[in-house]
Parts: sequence; structure tokens; C-alpha cells
Amino acid sequence: MKNFIITVAASSLVLLSGHAAAQAPSDAQIASIVVTANQVDIDAGKLAESKGSNAEVKAFGKQMVTDHSGVNKQAVALVTKLKVTPEDNPTSKSLKAGGAENVKNLEKLSGTAFDKAYVDHEVAYHQQVLDAIDKTLIPSAQNAELKSLLVSVRPAFVAHLEHAKMLQASLGKKS
Amino acid sequence: MRTAAGAGALAASWALAIALAAAPAGVGAADPARTHEVVIQGLLYVPETLTVRPGDVVVWTNKDPFPHTATAAGAFDSGSIAPGKSWRFTAKKAGTYPYLCTLHTTMKGTLRVE
Repeated sequence: MKNFIITVAASSLVLLSGHAAAQAPSDAQIASIVVTANQVDIDAGKLAESKGSNAEVKAFGKQMVTDHSGVNKQAVALVTKLKVTPEDNPTSKSLKAGGAENVKNLEKLSGTAFDKAYVDHEVAYHQQVLDAIDKTLIPSAQNAELKSLLVSVRPAFVAHLEHAKMLQASLGKKS
Repeated sequence: MRTAAGAGALAASWALAIALAAAPAGVGAADPARTHEVVIQGLLYVPETLTVRPGDVVVWTNKDPFPHTATAAGAFDSGSIAPGKSWRFTAKKAGTYPYLCTLHTTMKGTLRVE
């Protein structure tokens, strides 16, 4: 299960880097990728808040909802100000599909199996989004404010990744 | 005794007030309590290390779009500081206090009170 989930997360984001290598995303496409990436993690976080069995996993899920909602609020305010309309693209579509697939898998699980699957996916997801931010989104962003937004939210993905890895290690010890 | 001490304190405070009035702002050992700002942005405390005197006020302001804390175990804890909000703390006891954000433990800062 763990490998399957990581494969799903990784493959949706491999598409992200593959696509970017072929053609750098426009600012409108980056906006859509940012909003979708946050939304996907908000959806998974909501599920963890309600279905998680471990208190730390529930708290982490709640924090993901809060943090990624905050980032999205800021992103939407910026694109509104810049009069950029987020544009669907293969990357945002694949992120959305990957997120839906993850939620579908998580809904079938409960207890410690849910906790582990959720946290494993969070580790893979944040690592891959971080790679995309560094290799594709920041280098491709044309508008200075959009680039600056990406730079300022990047450390949140680093902190979330570290947090998810800590949870992963502690859940591993309990099994 | 009490009266004498009171009078002494009063005289001292006058002397202090006169010294302060004469001294350039922001320097000297007889500074009044000052307010220091720490900005939280991009998951960093800026400045990362802050040195203050006992009695000084430190204000942490969160400029990130999600909540943070400034927490030094056993010494101070802001609790959740919402986006755009601030938390004030009056430094009392001298010491070095490493602190972190309990929500994002990659965030670290140090408050020195001396």
C-alpha cells in the first residue's frame, strides 16, 4: 500500500517535471498549479482531521488545512490583483487526479493503516512539490510578485516535509 | 525608614529623569524599557537572535499567511499568532532563551535577556 501511494504521488509529479522540462509553464499555469497543489493537500488534511486515529496525525492534518488555505488565500489575492486567470494545464490536472486518487484510497482505510498511508503520502507529496517549486515553478515564474510568493511559501513545504517525516518515523516505531 | 527610602527612590528617579533627558535617545545604561520588533516572514524570525534588557518588550508580528508561535519551553509561549497579528512579551529574567514555532519546528530563534 505504501509503495502504491508513493507511486501515485510520484507519478503525478513526475508528469509535473516532465511537462515543465518540455515547456516552461506560464504564470497563469503556475497560478493554477499552486492553487491545485494547495487544494489537494487541504482535501487530504480534512480527511486526516476526521479519520486519523493518532492525535498527532489529526493535528498535522488540521495544520495542513490551515497552512495551505492561508497560502491559497494569498495566492488568489495576488492573481486577482495581477488580473491573471489561473489556467488549467496537464500538470494541474494530474495533480488534481493524483489528489482524488489519494483521497479515494484513504477513504477505504481506517485506524493505524489510515495514519500510515496518509503520512507516507504527505512525505512523498511535499518532497515532490518542493522539487517542482525549485526546479520548475520558481525558475519559470515571470512576474516578480508571483516569484516572490513562491519563494516565501517554499519554507512552509520544507517545514511540512520535516514534520511529516518525524510523524512517519514515530508511527513506524509504534508498529 | 520607609519614608527615607521613598525619598531616596524619588530623588534617584528624578536624577534618572534628568540624565535621560540629557542623554541621546537609545544609548546609555539608564535607558527606559524599549520595544523590540521580531518579524515572522517566510518561516523565519527576523532578527533570528535578539538581545534585550530585563523590562524590555518584544513584539513578534506574523507576516506569513498562516499561524505561527514563539515558544521557549518553560519561559514563554505565544500560543498561535494568527496571520497579521502580533504578540507582546515583557522580558524579565536574564538568560538565553532558544525558542521555536511549535507548528513549524524548523523555525528557530533566540532571545537573550542581559
